Amino acid sequence: MKKEVTKIVLAGEGGQGIQTIAKVLSTALVSAGYFVSYIPQFGPEQRGTPSVSFIQFSKSEITYPKFDTADIVMVLRRRAINTIMSYIGANTQVLFDSSTIARQKFSINNSKIFAIPATKLAEEQFGNKNQNILALGVLAKNFLDYPENAMWEIISSQLGKKFAKNPDLAIKAKAAFDFAYNFQLETKKFSKPEYDTCEEIIVKKNSDRLAVIIPKYCKGCGICIEKCPVQALSFGKTLGVYGTPTPDIDIEKCITCGNCFRFCPDSAIKVSPTQK
Amino acid sequence: MKQFITGNEAVVLGAIEGGAEMFFGYPITPATEILEGWINTASEDKSLKYLQAEDEIASGFATIGAILAGKKAFTATAGVGNVLMQDPISMAENERLPFVGIIAQRGGPSTGTVIYSQQEVNLTALGGNGDGLRIVYSASNVAECYDLSAKIFSTAWKYNFPTFMLTDGYLGKQKITTQLNKPIRPFPARKILKEDPENPTHIRNCFGSEPEFAKVLQRNISDYKYLIDKVAESENYKVSGATDIILAHGSVASAARSAIDDLRADGVKAGLVRPITLRPLDTKAIRSQIKNAQRVYVIESAFEQFARLLVYVVPELASKMIKVFKPAVGFTPEEITTLIKTQNKHR
Amino acid sequence: MKLPDEKFGMPACFNVKSKPSLFCPGCGESMILKHLGAVIDNEKIQSKITLAIDIGCTLLSWDYYNFDIIQTHHGRSVPTAVGYKMARDKRIVIALMGDGGAYAIGLQSLLHAAFRNDPILAIVINNTEYSMTGGQMAPTSLPDEITSTSPLGKNASIFGPAFHGPELVRQIANPKAFIARSSVSNPIMMETIITKALKNQITNKSFSMVEILSICPTNWKMNAAESFEFLAKLEKVYPVGEIIKNKSDKDSKSISE
Repeated sequence: MKKEVTKIVLAGEGGQGIQTIAKVLSTALVSAGYFVSYIPQFGPEQRGTPSVSFIQFSKSEITYPKFDTADIVMVLRRRAINTIMSYIGANTQVLFDSSTIARQKFSINNSKIFAIPATKLAEEQFGNKNQNILALGVLAKNFLDYPENAMWEIISSQLGKKFAKNPDLAIKAKAAFDFAYNFQLETKKFSKPEYDTCEEIIVKKNSDRLAVIIPKYCKGCGICIEKCPVQALSFGKTLGVYGTPTPDIDIEKCITCGNCFRFCPDSAIKVSPTQK
Repeated sequence: MKQFITGNEAVVLGAIEGGAEMFFGYPITPATEILEGWINTASEDKSLKYLQAEDEIASGFATIGAILAGKKAFTATAGVGNVLMQDPISMAENERLPFVGIIAQRGGPSTGTVIYSQQEVNLTALGGNGDGLRIVYSASNVAECYDLSAKIFSTAWKYNFPTFMLTDGYLGKQKITTQLNKPIRPFPARKILKEDPENPTHIRNCFGSEPEFAKVLQRNISDYKYLIDKVAESENYKVSGATDIILAHGSVASAARSAIDDLRADGVKAGLVRPITLRPLDTKAIRSQIKNAQRVYVIESAFEQFARLLVYVVPELASKMIKVFKPAVGFTPEEITTLIKTQNKHR
Repeated sequence: MKLPDEKFGMPACFNVKSKPSLFCPGCGESMILKHLGAVIDNEKIQSKITLAIDIGCTLLSWDYYNFDIIQTHHGRSVPTAVGYKMARDKRIVIALMGDGGAYAIGLQSLLHAAFRNDPILAIVINNTEYSMTGGQMAPTSLPDEITSTSPLGKNASIFGPAFHGPELVRQIANPKAFIARSSVSNPIMMETIITKALKNQITNKSFSMVEILSICPTNWKMNAAESFEFLAKLEKVYPVGEIIKNKSDKDSKSISE
């Protein structure tokens, strides 16, 4: 008799909370009485590469952590697609973030491809840390048919420490989860991501200085903002290489002190005096 | 030329013939005289460099550093030093560096005895956290210490795998009258780090994913398979018409050779098959020589180390061989003679 | 608008194909690598540099620059660099490692290189923990510092207080060795110190060691502002500047002379 095992791959950018929702999901499946296996993809370069986790659950014991084809694939960022593409088969259900990934990226003709603009919703409505919670809400309802309240209880116990530290985060996370749980999934054949990494450079200049910001090198650490002595920098709307916001510069406030590019670890910003 | 010389002295002379330029080491019996001998020679010949490092790990990695710069560098160690040396040797194995080491075997495990054994076969051939893509020669007498310590540099630089010569305390410390023959012309070294900023050399040692690393390993394994026929060597002694074949390497093979002379004189048809390379083994030669023998003996100063390597490539040996294992204890020709005669009487 | 030159804003000796790098957002090591690159550019020595890197987060820099780089084993960048330098004394050789590689697993090689005055530059990045493996306690962790292997804070009475590497190395290093500590909080000073250390190798054919206090926002679980606050705390425990030998040892030296 063939074992009935449901296989799930969750993928996104490191720091997006992929492993957090993988742990929540695993715990939820365990408490529903399943045998569960969960393993993150790990290696020395994981910090700078997409974050991926593999979950399996079944009514009988699971022995091996990896598999070839998934039943469910969730992917939140374009950079993670190459890693997970081979897990998508003819019957795989896919959930992707339509605000960061174009539908056309999934060249396979699979009618089971669904989307939620998680990053856009998080940025605009629920606080930018909640795209993973939005995705989790969708997974719970549409893919696993997991009761809403039971899932939320597990989220709040898993993230209890974080929520206690920042009660506002708990409120926003709850709103995001409820919204996603009841979200009508997109099934369009074409979509244009609004929140993808910006490939262009940002140039700002006045008569005194020229500022160049390079989103594809920016990891959104915020050190330039912290080191600017005149608060000429703040996070803007453009997204960097990890899908995090890049700095925006107020060129009039800037005094060309050089701190931002001196401290930038990734050579993503440069301000220079205009040549006269 | 005929000389009165120790095995460790012969190693230093042979290495220089093989083109060795630098030596890194740490004192350990019975390999210490190689360090001392090299330093004595280097104090006369300023082109030879050396460092007595803080431990075997450092001497191994410094050897790697010098090799990357295109120098024929080597080290010599033993026992627990060989254990520590597995860290740099593993790197050399993965990076395909022509690492050269002289392993003067001593009794193990642990500090064991400093005298003699053949118990560093496993560690030298298959040690480290990989698949043992290494080339291992076993010297059986002082003259061969000289020949092979020259040859291992050429093998290493030609095929780019860590290459070793096994000796032991008897071989290293024994001073003997022997004929040293001029070795073959050495294969040249070359710079591995090219010092070209337009096309920099990036030696990568740590990989991010299974498939990415698997590609590297597959390439290394296929290169290793390619060299087997070219590198594997063995010597046959009086095998013609032999009813009793001894498989032995290193010092034990020398004892067996003496025993065979006595046995033949007494009409016992005994012969010796002696692998010169333990890894890779000269499988074809071994197989063809044992085919017609009535009895095959595997004799070694270790418990199953040499035998295990043999059985993997010549599986029929598993049921056929008469096992004669004396871990960390030497064999005299007389006891081998007695052993073979006893077996012949039982027939 | 497209980037006019892919290397815009980067040191000229960078390998642009490896950027953006694999280092985490806000990584202090990327800052150090950038300023090391700037020094190499300023001194016009790109064609002469060979870099040996350790295991730890430094392993991520295996293709960071356009010059030869050797990725070694944990704690082994120093002996590899020493062997290479002996074989090619015209090259300028740098060994790059973290505080675990330098002060735990590789300490004896570092000490002996300093003791022998091997003409290499050892750059040690001190962020008070093992970062590649996820933030474990290191010899350099401060007393009471919380890490994944000191969840209740480092107990200095059991694990020792903050490990002062450069001060230790200074005690046995050759008098010609240049030993200093710097910090990512002051990039200009960092460049000055690295320059001085490299010149000590080039001109005086001597050993140099520069420890650089660095930030690890990921494992410290801190944002940019908090990271620099913690760094300021580190600078109080680990003073920056050139490290001078203890006076008492100078006295004992005069006796032995």
